[in-house]
Amino acid sequence: MADLNEIIHQPVRLRIMAALVTLKEGDEVDFTYLRDLLDVTDGNLGAHLRKLEEAEYITVNKVFVERKPRTYVSVTAEGRQVFREHVAALEAILKSK
Amino acid sequence: MNITPNEAEEALAAIQQIEQKTRHAIASSGSYITLIVTGAVWLIGFICTQFLPEISPYIWIGLSIFGSVLGAIWGFRIGSRVRSPANTAMAKRAGLFWFFLIFYCVATIAVVQPTDGKQITVLVILFALIGHLSLGLLLSFSAIWWPLPITGLVLVSYFLLPDLFYLWMGVLGGGGMIALGMYIRYRW
Repeated sequence: MADLNEIIHQPVRLRIMAALVTLKEGDEVDFTYLRDLLDVTDGNLGAHLRKLEEAEYITVNKVFVERKPRTYVSVTAEGRQVFREHVAALEAILKSK
Repeated sequence: MNITPNEAEEALAAIQQIEQKTRHAIASSGSYITLIVTGAVWLIGFICTQFLPEISPYIWIGLSIFGSVLGAIWGFRIGSRVRSPANTAMAKRAGLFWFFLIFYCVATIAVVQPTDGKQITVLVILFALIGHLSLGLLLSFSAIWWPLPITGLVLVSYFLLPDLFYLWMGVLGGGGMIALGMYIRYRW
């Protein structure tokens, strides 16, 4: 049975990962779009993204679009894998109820 | 790390909720723009056609250009929220699809030679709705349903309310699309 992932299990990071794995492989989502989707503040989202980036579960890509800085976030292959394992662990706990 | 089955259930529910919200947000991001812009063009265009028929062709030309430019700019801004290598190729195909559909619509009108403006209007609208329905079916299942009631509205007004056709299309067709676009944007 797969173990629960402590980094992912935190509620905001769990929702960030759930949103990112819903995208197709290779897709990137804008920081503000993700913030609005999850209904969190800039600072809160930024802090949790850093944590996930340090774990190499996501990549943060800063680019210029129409001369304005934009931050895009996408999930890595490892991130998808650990998220799947985390969901499997949650389902296993639920089945043992 | 240990958690109770109840906590696991809550976490799974949160995952499911955000996955569904993300899918809806992505699927509806294009359709609400199309609905609001097309609805505004219809509302102004058809009401002008009903009450100011002599200048309505010029109004339609202006509105079509305005609607296309606004839709393209707005669509680009919304589209840049999610960057996808697959979407770039898909956008080119969608552009080609609309180009050929316009060609076939013009060819059909040339062959059929409609006797009045209403018939031309209905043909153009039906081709546009076929386009939206086809792209909706191919690209996003959640965006396919809205052209169907609009098609029903067009046919009902054409066959049952010919004298009020343009007014009906403007207020109910255009206004309905704006309302639907707003609903998708803020409530869906």
